[in-house]
Amino acid sequence: MIPSDHFVRFYNEVFKFLDERNGLEKYYAHISAHQEFHCLKDFSEKKLKGVYDYYVKIRKEENCGMELRLEKDCIYLGMTACPSLAKAIDNDAGACPKYCLHCPGWTFPLYRKAGLFQVKDMMGLDNPACRSWIFEDREKAQKKYEELLKTCPAEMIKKNF
Amino acid sequence: MRGFSSPVFFLNIEFFITEGIDNEKMLRYQENNELHRDFHGTTNTTLNYIAENYGVDALKALLRKTGHDVYKSIRVKLEKGDASELIEHLNWFFYRENGKFQLTVDGNEIRFEVFECPAHKHLKSLGMEISPYSCLQTSEVNAGMCEGTCWTSSVEILGEGHCMQIFRKKVDK
Repeated sequence: MIPSDHFVRFYNEVFKFLDERNGLEKYYAHISAHQEFHCLKDFSEKKLKGVYDYYVKIRKEENCGMELRLEKDCIYLGMTACPSLAKAIDNDAGACPKYCLHCPGWTFPLYRKAGLFQVKDMMGLDNPACRSWIFEDREKAQKKYEELLKTCPAEMIKKNF
Repeated sequence: MRGFSSPVFFLNIEFFITEGIDNEKMLRYQENNELHRDFHGTTNTTLNYIAENYGVDALKALLRKTGHDVYKSIRVKLEKGDASELIEHLNWFFYRENGKFQLTVDGNEIRFEVFECPAHKHLKSLGMEISPYSCLQTSEVNAGMCEGTCWTSSVEILGEGHCMQIFRKKVDK
């Protein structure tokens, strides 16, 4: 058994393996479908409140440094200390340079399927921090996306719509 | 200081434990916080994915590399004949997951019997089907930890979620 504590370091090896075979995107889609088992019903039915409740649990179980705010129109999720990338870095096997990309890789299709619009500032792929905004309204998400493009490197700003 | 507080049975432990070892420093990866057991689900689906898309041999190689590279600290100690981190690793991480196990150390042999695999238990609680490749996690990662050392590993499957993991030190004749 790979301990759940060490899953991230196995995940990191999986990403290296798949990246060498140009297989990351297909795998992200597979993981996104798997995560539907845990999240899709709540995200689809409860919308932002469902997302908020999920990340309250994740923040605790994964020991995240995370600012989480349920606002009127959106959720703000500010990862200030990502335990996932931090473990991938604190690792004798070395971190996969694309490690962070799995996060939008699985969340983007899932939110899309739940009717939610996500904008993400990756804040660097070697930095265990990022920011996400999740909206029910596409126009508001687009406005946030354009606002971020004015102040952040464009390659770090991603959206699921 | 954390101790060996779970149901562990040690025999002839003096062979492995050097006086003055600090348990907190014995493990390369210190994990003391909350657990996210749903990671077992992602591991389970990933094992199937790799085997089905790249073949079982590729999955074995990936797991063995994980054992070899991620657990470098355990492997390097094993190269020197020191099994202390391997013992603490087995004990601590199965204890954290509320595993039912018995760890027996006797001279050149470590026997780790897992009566109820915590990963399988969690997958069942989620209603997920256990991957047919699940136990390769154990056999291949353990083999990777031992690769190039004077230790060998084997796993005997004794039942669903029940296995005996054996590490043996090769003795020069």
